Amino acid sequence: MSLIDFLFYIICAAAVILLAAQAVINPTAFVQITVFGLADGAMYALVALGYTMVYGIIELINFAHGDVFTLGGYISAAILGFFAINEESFSVINLVAILLVFPVVMLIMGGINITIERIAYRPLRNAPRLAPLITAIGMSFVLEGIMFLWHGPASVHFPDILPHGLGYQTTIAGVFVTFKDGFVMATAIVLVTLLAIFINRTKLGKAMRATAQDRDAAQLMGIDINRTIAATFFIGALLAGAGGMIWGLYFNNLFYNLGFRTGLVAFTSAVFGGIGNIPGAAIGGVLIGLIAAYSDSYINSKWTEVVIFGILIGVLVFRPTGLLGMRVPEK
Amino acid sequence: MALMVAFACGGGGGGTGGNKGTIKIGSDLPVCTTGGQSTANGVKFAVDQKNAAGGLNGYTFSYQSFDDCRQGAYSADAGVENVQTMLGDPKFLGMIGPYNSAVAKAEIPISSPQHFVMISPSNTNPCLTKEVAPPQAPCTYHAADLRSGNANNYWRVVTTDDYQGPAMADYMYKTLNVHNVGVLDDSTVFGVGISGAFETEFKTLGGTIAKHSEYQKATTSDWKSILLAFKNAGALGVYVGGTDDQNICIPRKQMKDLGWDVPFGGGDGIETTDCIDQASGNELNINATSAGADATQIPGAKSTIDAFRKAFPGANDFGGYTMQAYDAANALMAAIGRAINDAGGNTPTREQVRSEMAKTKGFVGVIGTYDFDQNGDTNLKIVSIYVVQSVTDPANSTGVCGKAQTKLCFVWKTQFDFAKK
Repeated sequence: MSLIDFLFYIICAAAVILLAAQAVINPTAFVQITVFGLADGAMYALVALGYTMVYGIIELINFAHGDVFTLGGYISAAILGFFAINEESFSVINLVAILLVFPVVMLIMGGINITIERIAYRPLRNAPRLAPLITAIGMSFVLEGIMFLWHGPASVHFPDILPHGLGYQTTIAGVFVTFKDGFVMATAIVLVTLLAIFINRTKLGKAMRATAQDRDAAQLMGIDINRTIAATFFIGALLAGAGGMIWGLYFNNLFYNLGFRTGLVAFTSAVFGGIGNIPGAAIGGVLIGLIAAYSDSYINSKWTEVVIFGILIGVLVFRPTGLLGMRVPEK
Repeated sequence: MALMVAFACGGGGGGTGGNKGTIKIGSDLPVCTTGGQSTANGVKFAVDQKNAAGGLNGYTFSYQSFDDCRQGAYSADAGVENVQTMLGDPKFLGMIGPYNSAVAKAEIPISSPQHFVMISPSNTNPCLTKEVAPPQAPCTYHAADLRSGNANNYWRVVTTDDYQGPAMADYMYKTLNVHNVGVLDDSTVFGVGISGAFETEFKTLGGTIAKHSEYQKATTSDWKSILLAFKNAGALGVYVGGTDDQNICIPRKQMKDLGWDVPFGGGDGIETTDCIDQASGNELNINATSAGADATQIPGAKSTIDAFRKAFPGANDFGGYTMQAYDAANALMAAIGRAINDAGGNTPTREQVRSEMAKTKGFVGVIGTYDFDQNGDTNLKIVSIYVVQSVTDPANSTGVCGKAQTKLCFVWKTQFDFAKK
């Protein structure tokens, strides 16, 4: 065991012991914070998957991805406006609206992301790596600008149509749990499971894995590289679109530059778990959500960002390949 | 004086013709927010009224509204650029604004060497004009440094956070009977200042601060863990120091998500439409202070407010600082009028306007009769308390209501007069 490894384990152990102490002092609060952290983390995970999939296949940090996520929230809020939804109490129309809008928004965002890839990234496929990176940042500003023009700078209300209020919340041993918390986690688990099945069991999933491993060899085997990369963007955006809608349903507030911060956190999650590694991104997202919640509560919210990005630096120093190992094209 | 009038009449063709030319007045406000725009409306209304009455001493006024928003929130950099634009045009003889204390802190150093009059309708950070008295935390920057030896060119028609913060502390402690609170601020000049002033007074009264947390808009989207820490530390209320464009009222909504129903209070940064919108689902009983008397509570103000509403009929056109801006604009135009006389009926210099503004005594505005001290502060030290309630006719409330929930409005509760203490 090298000194670096030793340091890494010492720091991890210290963090776990400090948390365990808090858990013993006030177990109810600890579990409550964990619930919040898991819900936030589930949403980070959905966004992080998009970063990690795109990075895995073309080694591009797609900075516009966080804004695709936010735009998903904006578009779903707009579509929900067409339904006679009831924000006071849960109605059948709410259920129908949610079930209908989810796939529609996911498909719309998938289409938008394919377009972004086609216009902004594909022409730069063989350019130096810095070029598409800067284009991605530009794309991020374009999307934020569109949302700014659409709804202005103030926060946008997202209809509160999930079951909420009395009857949909309960206190289990002092821990306050709402239907919304469960909904967020369950939806995220379903989506991540579907993604895992798709990547591991389908022909296109196999093509994606092959392209990620060695693009040239995959092409020699008859895989349509452009189609496979477009599919990666499409699937990443499906998850981001769903994530945006879930975010809206959970927080009921969106603002045009939400994706900047969420995107950075999700990207950190992806690096934390091992960029290019799909289970890694999911686990990284959940862990970052938990860490942020613990930091907000036990330290002070002003330090939370320091903690999160301190972890990013720590991971890059001690574990450059992330917790579960990096999976990127082998050169 | 008779000579002056004669001169003005001779030059101005009756004194009401307005053919001597145009004097420009600017405003620098975050008009991307409802609070900023409703304040700008007050300035425009005052200028329009003056021009409709024939202008002043032969001059007509031209008003230009500058926006100091950048990416949806006030920006000191944008404010400085706006002031530089005004300074570059000799026709500008004064401005109303800024709205946010952090912007004023950046603007005063560039406007004071040019003797350019600034009258803020809403800046409340005390350090812009004076030092605060112990036990409150001392100023981290100083009024004299901002002016670097130049004569004072900055006035404000509202009182300061060293009264505004304590007013809410008194209200929460004595009226709402909350003796333990969590304090949250948005890390801005305003937010840190007012929450500090609240905290000091609350402790003096015998209250306990369960925890004081800070966040930054760019990095926080979920406040539940922060709020839970307050709750677990024993807090029975929440005080927020900050402004709506920093999302300060989303925590109010999240208190409901937590099932935590305790009083919520803040400064004038939350007495806004955007705040009510952010709190969606948990709007009722948001308590907010405002650093001035409430125009709707002053009998003499009714006719002006009615006339304003006729000219600006939009639901969110009237805000907590509209009438303050109206008074500020009239005080500025009155000073310009006296300066025109000083200049023998001609266009005065900026220094003449500044020196006349400094002599303002007993200026009768809508909110009250203003005297200003040498620092630029008003003698009116009234802090109003508002609470969000459901009303049947929004026009009979303060008019600060939600965009989606148009019947949920800030309603005047009471006021504290610190000049009488």
